[in-house]
Amino acid sequence: MKPVVELKNLSKTIGGKKIINDLNLSLYPGTITGFLGPNGAGKTTTIRMMVGLMKQTGGDVVIVGVSLRDNFEEGLSKVGVIVENPEMYKFMSGYKNLVHFARMHKGVTKERIDEVVRQVGMQNRIHEKVGTYSLGMRQRLGLAQALLHRPRFLILDEPTNGLDPAGIREFRTYLRGIAEAEGVAVFVSSHMLSEIELMCDRIAVIQNGKLIDIREMSETKESFYYIEATPVERAKQLLVNEGFSVDDFKSGLLANVEQQQIPGIMRSFVAEGLEVFALQPHKKTLEDEFLEMTGGGQIAETYAK
Amino acid sequence: MLKLMQNEWMKLWNKKGTWVMVAIMIVMTAGMMSLMKYISTQNMGGNFTRESMIGDPSSLGGTVLLLTVIVAAGIVASEFSQGTIKMLLTRPVKRWKILTSKFITVNLFGMFLMVIGYVVYILLAIVLFKSGTDQGLSDVWGKSLYMVLLSFGSVFVTSTFAFAVGSVFRSSSLAIGLSLFIYFTGTTISALLAKYEIAKYLLFTHMDLTQFETGMMLVEDMTMPFSLAVLGVYVVVFLVISYTSFVKRDVTA
Repeated sequence: MKPVVELKNLSKTIGGKKIINDLNLSLYPGTITGFLGPNGAGKTTTIRMMVGLMKQTGGDVVIVGVSLRDNFEEGLSKVGVIVENPEMYKFMSGYKNLVHFARMHKGVTKERIDEVVRQVGMQNRIHEKVGTYSLGMRQRLGLAQALLHRPRFLILDEPTNGLDPAGIREFRTYLRGIAEAEGVAVFVSSHMLSEIELMCDRIAVIQNGKLIDIREMSETKESFYYIEATPVERAKQLLVNEGFSVDDFKSGLLANVEQQQIPGIMRSFVAEGLEVFALQPHKKTLEDEFLEMTGGGQIAETYAK
Repeated sequence: MLKLMQNEWMKLWNKKGTWVMVAIMIVMTAGMMSLMKYISTQNMGGNFTRESMIGDPSSLGGTVLLLTVIVAAGIVASEFSQGTIKMLLTRPVKRWKILTSKFITVNLFGMFLMVIGYVVYILLAIVLFKSGTDQGLSDVWGKSLYMVLLSFGSVFVTSTFAFAVGSVFRSSSLAIGLSLFIYFTGTTISALLAKYEIAKYLLFTHMDLTQFETGMMLVEDMTMPFSLAVLGVYVVVFLVISYTSFVKRDVTA
């Protein structure tokens, strides 16, 4: 599959400090890619370079075969952007805001504006001033402006900020819908890991300006079981002897065990006279993996904010 | 480009403040005319006839300047303070085009205010003042329009300055403050420095182009072409600074 967007050795240096270091990433049509990283890792900088808010120091962003360096207007005409909270002109109606942005793209008709307004379900309030909108409605309007010109690539920075659970779910379904129906490549950055987990097909993790991991969400994960048995040392010893990798976890153990091996372990535990309190599958969440990858400290600061 | 200007024009007129400015323009002009009428009825010197009033509408310049500077200072800075700059610059439009559309809009607005003020001025001049006998009304129109054009000179230069400061520092209050400071203290500075050579090259010395018609020159030996040349250089410098900073800036706000 041909990528819609390619980042090629993208670099950014600010004041002698390398903020982004040789970033390479491809985004494919119909795929939603999540972009994760602790605060200060360079997510926002990367996104700003992709949408023309910042100039890259080195490397290039190629969108549908067009380099942003060589032909900014052509390249960016395929991109829909929601950067953080969509700030609109509060003193104008939602509709006028859309007309405003539509004028900045080629070939967006009045019918297209109406169509997008219907798609995001804003037809009842679109002629009211944006200043009277709730955050959720502003998010919808933000999505509407990003879709006006039928972009091939949609880039979203913290898109679900301020949406209620129902709104988030609707947004997710909607995003999935356009990604699949129109073959749009979607790139989402977010701190809400559970959100990314539900929304994305692929995740890219960035730390200190470098891409440290790209993976498919559907990749079969290793299976873990949580085992609580006393005495713990004996249990651990037993498992290690059987060749499993074991970690301490809460008051029990976390073992890398396949499902079909469970009855065997159970039998051996009983045979050894261990008291078994719990033996349950343990699902590593994206959050766990993320913290493992990036080292917990930095993200902890994020949450403290 | 036309669409971008349409956008700027739409944003401008959707702000309540713009309509207030038009109202202020009308009220100020009317107030000024009433004051002149009052002075002339009290016989406190000055012999104002309909013709002499129409012949010199340069007093409009000050009001237009004040109001246009506010728009010029805010047109770029407000995009930053509202956060809408991110929406504006993530479009397939080069930045210099956006800035140009804004600059043209500011000047169109200045001209628009000037026209509004001029219409009110002329109407009131005809209504309030009696025709003198010394010269025919038809002779005055040419001069009248010429004076309007000349007084637009200072509007153009000052608003360009405000526009540049506003786009470089992204702060409309700084831009308004500096521009008005220059406008009010400029003539004093020029007058103080009048005997030195440097006064010839100061912006303030040349801003008021009507001085060549009224004969109230700040510095001697100035000619209109020289003034225009000096102003031209300043305007180019302001615009170069404004464009380079706006086009190159990394938007982090």
